[in-house]
Amino acid sequence: MAQSIFTWLDERLGLTEIYDTILDRKVPKVNWWFTLGSASLFLGLLQGITGMMLSVYYVPTPDHAYDSITYIMTGVQFGWLIRGLHHWGASLLILTAFFHLLRVFFYGAYKYPREFTWFTGVFLMIGALGMGFTGYLLPWNQRSYWATTVGSEIAGTVPVVGDFILRVLRGGTDLSAVTLSRFFAMHIWILPAVIIATVCAHLYLVIRLGISNIPDRDS
Amino acid sequence: MKEEHKQEYKQKYEQAKQDGVKFWPDIIYKDLLVSFGLFILLVGLVTFVGIHPEAKADPSDTSYIPRPEWYFLFLFEFLKFVPGKIEWVGTTLIPALAVLALLALPFLDKNHLRHWKNRLTGISIMGVVVLGMVGLTVRSVITTPEQAEGSAANTIQDQMVLGQEIYSVYCVECHGPDGEGGIIAGVEGLEGVDLKSISSKDEMYTRSDETLENIAAFGQQDLGMPPYGLAYGGELKKTELESVVTFMRYTWDDRVELPEDASSAGAIPEIKEFEVPSYEIHISRIVQRYCISCHRPEKENNNYLMQTYQEMLTTGDNQGNNLIAGDLNSYMLLTNKGISILDPVSGEEIIQQMPPTKLMKDEYIHLFEIWVLNGMPETAAEAEALTAAGQEE
Ligand code: HEC
Ligand code: HEC
Ligand code: HEM
Repeated sequence: MAQSIFTWLDERLGLTEIYDTILDRKVPKVNWWFTLGSASLFLGLLQGITGMMLSVYYVPTPDHAYDSITYIMTGVQFGWLIRGLHHWGASLLILTAFFHLLRVFFYGAYKYPREFTWFTGVFLMIGALGMGFTGYLLPWNQRSYWATTVGSEIAGTVPVVGDFILRVLRGGTDLSAVTLSRFFAMHIWILPAVIIATVCAHLYLVIRLGISNIPDRDS
Repeated sequence: MKEEHKQEYKQKYEQAKQDGVKFWPDIIYKDLLVSFGLFILLVGLVTFVGIHPEAKADPSDTSYIPRPEWYFLFLFEFLKFVPGKIEWVGTTLIPALAVLALLALPFLDKNHLRHWKNRLTGISIMGVVVLGMVGLTVRSVITTPEQAEGSAANTIQDQMVLGQEIYSVYCVECHGPDGEGGIIAGVEGLEGVDLKSISSKDEMYTRSDETLENIAAFGQQDLGMPPYGLAYGGELKKTELESVVTFMRYTWDDRVELPEDASSAGAIPEIKEFEVPSYEIHISRIVQRYCISCHRPEKENNNYLMQTYQEMLTTGDNQGNNLIAGDLNSYMLLTNKGISILDPVSGEEIIQQMPPTKLMKDEYIHLFEIWVLNGMPETAAEAEALTAAGQEE
């Protein structure tokens, strides 16, 4: 019975084919440093899940953002855990992604034929930093408010277009409700959409090209 | 890369695959193990380190030292080295070049060899950059001064305590300890002005939290109430104003109920029969509530400060007479009962009743009396010892 259901599905979905190309393939023997990419992926997924849960209670307005976070921490069952995971997960993700970059660099894995994997990787690193920057403002506490104030000021020093960038980031001359809703939109819609697409490209390339082998002395 | 190098690489890679392992389960198993380890680490961090509480954003508090997330600190620190006119070199040029270099790395590095010993230049450059980033981050952490411990009250309980404290210091001298108002005495410029109550039902039912906060922030300058908000020349941050309002609302508005665990915060405990009160538990709280608004520096008070135990015993123009152990004629006790002190020579009044506007509840006046009669114990332990000794007799 189970066998026939499987065959029925397999004929239509190509499950065996997926299994053969993705899971049941030979890859070079590698060491533990090669787990950093999948660790980043895991943390990225965890950020997505905890982030969605937070968005149930979080309110992106200056009047209510802080209180809604306080409510998540004190009023919601396991709210402290969800927010805590999201908070610490962000830092850990930056670390794992950065060490992943360093290990790729160290083994020369950005060379032929994996140049494109490297490009997408650089964009992922920038994307992750962007998530960190936009997410930091959302709790609307002293720390986030002033960090974003200086952060956007720095962007404002860019020659010629600096003032324009500053105005786009803040949605005016000062930090306000507009800034908060812009950062919120960046943090939960725009950046994640870009990052998810880039991760897909990244993983496609990794699977297609295979993970690199550890180079020996004369390669 | 030359065609021959490509072929050579491909060959080696095929060989490595042949000698390799299966993606499932060998690789996946390692990946899952590491992810699981990280998850445990995360839960540990959340449970045992948690998230540092921060006060609500206050745009008027420009004294706050900005602190970016830790992974931006190196950039932030780096900017300190390129000040003024050439700032854009640090904020734009160098970061842009760095990102470009990172992106273009596969083209910049034309060497077909991969082992690190064959790429010493590249490895050293990256090494220096990473060490530099770590160094800048450490430098930033060390050189950024400690944030002045802001009064971040998050629970209602903390807010009540903080609000009570602020109310006592800033508002009692005019509005009285219970917001009852009345004829003002002992306040410069408003002597004799009759204040309406701000704790009445009328007031509480018609003023929203926001209105109360605004009144405290802007003051009512035409009527003589000074502004307290930082943005308007006062000394209180937004969170502090909010705490005062929380205190006023929960103490005076009969429609709201204080949550169980918060109701005892800052309360003055009653004493049992024969119990000796202490400064630590009883007197300090009464003083905080009824006296401190006038008896602190820069107020008119015969130089009598009451912020600490030491101050209470050792300051004041009439220092020797204010608190005399065991003496019911201590000025403190007399004035608390409404008896003003006259100059023995001229007969002029030198100290009016205390507090000048309205006497405290009998219960508290009594507390002060027992305290003085027992020699003014400071700590709870001292008071307990006195209680025990008294009962043995
Ligand atoms: C120097 C004296 C003084 C101090 C100190 C003071 N006030 Fe007032 N306050 C006044 C006066 C005068 C009025 C006007 C009273 C009236 O209309 O009867 C007033 C009015 C008010 C009102 C009522 C306004 C209304 O129209 O309902 C509130 C609420 C209030 N003050 C809160 C505070 C708080 C909170 C503090 C401490 C942060 C404070 N006040 C400190 C003098 C003072
Ligand atoms: C509204 C302001 C105000 C408040 C509240 C207040 N005092 Fe005073 N206090 C004064 C002033 C002003 C003097 C100086 C004498 C005078 O002008 O009567 C003084 C003087 C005194 C002195 C004499 C000090 C000396 O060495 O001459 C004592 C004792 C005293 N106060 C006790 C208290 C106690 C106890 C409380 C709280 C229960 C209290 N006061 C609350 C304004 C205040
Ligand atoms: C959110 C961030 C990222 C995720 C989720 C991610 C995910 C992965 C995964 C799962 C792998 C396969 C195995 C491994 O090496 O761990 C991989 C490989 C790779 N990644 Fe990433 N990555 C991220 C960021 C980056 C960055 C910042 C770079 C470099 C700039 C990068 C460059 C590469 C390259 C070149 C490979 C192929 C390595 C090889 O074949 O040896 N990635 N990535």
